Amino acid sequence: MIPTQQSDSVRLITPTMLVLFLVLATVPLWIARAGLYPYLGIEILIWSLYALAFNLVLGTAGLPSFGHGAYFGIGAYAFGLCQFNVVANLWICLAAAFAVAGLAGALVALFISHRRGIYYAFMTIAFGQIFWTLAIKSHKVTGGEDGLLKIARLPADLGFASFDLAGNVAFYYFVLIVFGLAVIALWRLVHSPYGRVIAAIKQSEIRAAHLGYNVWLYKASIFTLSAAVSGFAGGLFAMAQLAAFPDVMSLHQSGYVVMMTLVGGGLVSFWGPVVGVFLFLIARDVIGALTNAWMLYFGLLFIAVVLFRPEGVAGAVTAAWQNRSLHSMRQQGGSALRLLFGGERWR
Amino acid sequence: MFDLLPHILNGLTLGLLFALIALGFMLIVGLMEQINLAHGSLFALGAYFAMQLMGPRPPFPSDVAHAWLAMPLGWRYVATLILAPAAVGVVGIAIEFCMRRTYGKDPLYGLLLTFGAAMVIEEMIRLTWGTRDYVLQVPQGVSGGFLFGDLIWSTYRFYAAGIAVAIIGLVWLLIEKTSFGATVKAGAHDSEIVRALGINLTRLRLLVFVFGTMLAAIAGIIVAPIWGIRPHMGVDAVIPAFLVIVLGGVGSFWGAVVAGLLVGLAVGLSGAYASEWSLLSMYVLLVAVVTVRARGLWGKKSVLEA
Amino acid sequence: MTKREISRRGVLKGSLMASALAGTASYFGPWKENRVWAQGAAKPIKLGLTCDASGQYGNSGQDDLRGIQMAIDEANAKGGVLGRKVTWITADTETTPATGSRIAERFITREDCTILIGAVHSGVANAITQVAAKNGVIYLNTNSSAPSEAGENCSRIKFVWDGNGTNFSKASVKNAVDSIGKNWMLLTNDYVWGHTTSAATKAQVEGAGGKIMDNLLVPQNTRDFTAYLLKIQQAKPDVVATAIGGDDIKALREQVAQLKLDGKPAWINNQQDWPDVWGAPNSLFGVFGTTWYHKLALPGVAEFVKKWQATNKEGSIPVPGNVSYNGYMATRELLRAIERAGSTNNIKIIKELENLKVSATDRMQHFDAYMDPVTHQMQQTIYLARRNAKPSDNTDLYEIISWTEPKAAADTDAQAKCKLTPYEQVPTVDS
Repeated sequence: MIPTQQSDSVRLITPTMLVLFLVLATVPLWIARAGLYPYLGIEILIWSLYALAFNLVLGTAGLPSFGHGAYFGIGAYAFGLCQFNVVANLWICLAAAFAVAGLAGALVALFISHRRGIYYAFMTIAFGQIFWTLAIKSHKVTGGEDGLLKIARLPADLGFASFDLAGNVAFYYFVLIVFGLAVIALWRLVHSPYGRVIAAIKQSEIRAAHLGYNVWLYKASIFTLSAAVSGFAGGLFAMAQLAAFPDVMSLHQSGYVVMMTLVGGGLVSFWGPVVGVFLFLIARDVIGALTNAWMLYFGLLFIAVVLFRPEGVAGAVTAAWQNRSLHSMRQQGGSALRLLFGGERWR
Repeated sequence: MFDLLPHILNGLTLGLLFALIALGFMLIVGLMEQINLAHGSLFALGAYFAMQLMGPRPPFPSDVAHAWLAMPLGWRYVATLILAPAAVGVVGIAIEFCMRRTYGKDPLYGLLLTFGAAMVIEEMIRLTWGTRDYVLQVPQGVSGGFLFGDLIWSTYRFYAAGIAVAIIGLVWLLIEKTSFGATVKAGAHDSEIVRALGINLTRLRLLVFVFGTMLAAIAGIIVAPIWGIRPHMGVDAVIPAFLVIVLGGVGSFWGAVVAGLLVGLAVGLSGAYASEWSLLSMYVLLVAVVTVRARGLWGKKSVLEA
Repeated sequence: MTKREISRRGVLKGSLMASALAGTASYFGPWKENRVWAQGAAKPIKLGLTCDASGQYGNSGQDDLRGIQMAIDEANAKGGVLGRKVTWITADTETTPATGSRIAERFITREDCTILIGAVHSGVANAITQVAAKNGVIYLNTNSSAPSEAGENCSRIKFVWDGNGTNFSKASVKNAVDSIGKNWMLLTNDYVWGHTTSAATKAQVEGAGGKIMDNLLVPQNTRDFTAYLLKIQQAKPDVVATAIGGDDIKALREQVAQLKLDGKPAWINNQQDWPDVWGAPNSLFGVFGTTWYHKLALPGVAEFVKKWQATNKEGSIPVPGNVSYNGYMATRELLRAIERAGSTNNIKIIKELENLKVSATDRMQHFDAYMDPVTHQMQQTIYLARRNAKPSDNTDLYEIISWTEPKAAADTDAQAKCKLTPYEQVPTVDS
């Protein structure tokens, strides 16, 4: 299990969450002065949600999914197609994004949930490529490589009040609220009995099966859930960009979310993916302005993290602030760390 | 049916090229149980090195460069076929050194490391050579077209397929018929015994990895005139490579070759009917085969089954 | 207990550090930017140049940029526009619509660009148009020649400066059906420019009594055309009309030239961009269109070429072609329109551009050019060319075989398909 303070794991809203939400709520006030812009904040929140959903599979369940961009992209297309062909209602279309991506995830989970490890990774790549190719080729439905354009930021109609989300700041707050609710839900999920079973499966499938749990069902369900939430984030992204493009579904960009999650420390910390997304997107904007080689530096950072600090930024920060050596963390910490440093012996 | 014949032939030649591309990847997976996702970038690097060597500004001191450029194109091409893979082999050594830390851990680590290496190499290619398309010059003798059965065919394609056959044959001989090959196979099968016999396992692994990367580079040089040279060409190689491996089954040499031919046929035949879907046909083939035979056509139990 | 406090502090410190970092980073200033701004001078007019530097159209994007910058430098040499200096910022749109959308967002909200200029790929152009229209920012599509840019994808804030697929088809097809043959095959790049151009060609061919045997779709970034060339050889059409661009057309031309398929069937390559031609000069074949050529025997052309060469000495392309020309013309006319409008209010500029007329001499073309106020596309002379068998120097690759006046090549269906938003619904932009 991802190591968490005992008391935090039973809370609905942890102190860390509160601080984070408060800080994020103030962002539009100072972001321009920090040399950035509200749209970047929107991107960070959406990708954070996507990375958190992805980490359900990688960090919590220990399953490597290298083709997750497919579900992010499918959610975006589903949102757009719902808006054009079904009904232009914000809630229904976001639900459609969640459902359609979840369906795609369930389909793939059917084929792969009986395996893990490298084979699992291979097959997620293959399916990711299939979805990507379908998105690019079906240009009558998806607009092909030109993307599905003219997607609108539908107003948030709560019955008693309706909020126009066309402006970047208004949309940012909407995304923040949705992000907050999703984070609370994901936190509860990871620390619920269901989440504990998933963690047990990550440690040892044989042991979990011995205890009577239907391992296949748990693996399939977490993958489906992860795909659904990724699709939901994709629906938000479609609104942000006013379009759905197939690029996020490519192998390259599916790799980005793996890199972000790992560098941020997703293997050992719930917040790792958020840290990773923040680092990646800020680096893209700030360092990318100075040099075209920013991806090179991030790639080198990624290699260094894989080799020397697989617990990532969040892991290193947690260890430092808790004044513990990494060695003691490895003793106490979850199977993630045992996985990293123990290899075959711990399986 | 006759109409399909050219497309079948096209598919078979393409299939041999896929098999060649997958060769280096397959050796590393089969013999070292490591997934080398950097295979595609090394493939690209081989093509770029070759292009630089053949081109108007080879990386030699100026008098050597003059002598080099004065040589006829054919000789330069043959020399490039040896020099460029050697240079990529050096890069392979660097990667292998990094990979050593991940031996014994979850093989996922090797996967992630090589993925990172792939991105880094691709970015370095982009920085060094820019993003424009390059063309690899080939000797006059193998370029151009020839007439066969009322259609004009590309000479180079058949030459490339022929080279692929030759290289595949040579590698097979090396693995099956030499003592080096025997040692490598033993090392894959049971590393403890090999070490007990006094063979330096670390050096053996290094040699196998470097050999695999050099094969990737040679594939890059051979395929470059058909696919063009651009930074992203690695992805066009690594995806078919692991498709071929999963399809043919890990640990089976001929499985990879046959799988390569099947993938090539799938692409070639779909090119006849619906060219824009020919990429997708590869994946559909994979899903179809794997659903029926999870280990691939000739696979043995391997690192893939965790 | 204690551990929880520390982690809270950790998060606080972390976020403080991050914002401090971001704040300091802002002083480095993003992207390649031309910031020339003396104290006390009037606020400069800032242009966002959304040009590709990589991908299928990277070469053309950079050529576009050169033309645009030449026009800006000219204006600044005369003291700027409305007494204000013109500054610019550029970033690589990577021939990818998603990137174009992101960069447009950044240019408008973070960089405060008044006007966006530049596109080669129609998908990218559309993505940028969406973002620009949301903000009321004027966008000049310099080099994307999809007929839909002036049709269903038109916009009140967008102006198109290139001839499009329909224009070139109209100039070339009828003649070819009559003189070469009735059986045509189409090769189409699988994105909006390819589709709409091939649709236009098909309409022209069938209108002239010809027949389309097949339409082969070619994914973007295709390099291996073997399957397509085999199919073409098997089908034996009279003419093959291609709507393929960028690096793809270079690869196709190389392979066709290698196999010596350039004689039969006849090839009509719609529009060829100079950077693509220059990249592989020996494989130029067939008949193709362009909006301008550096060896036209017209007043002003030679001086323009010399001026362009003076600022582009180390480039890989030695003379300007249609891409640079379109970028230059678009920017020059924009800056003149701002001067005439007397303000940078977007509605005023739009109204000036909608009524734009430029004389043939001023355009360095054979006929006068004018802006179509309904579709926002510049109507200009359309040239047809083929490979020059007797070049006067190594840059003289084209033999111009005809020039068609704008009215004859105009896309008559576009006006019906284009629906512009009313002026009142466009957000006001003024710098």
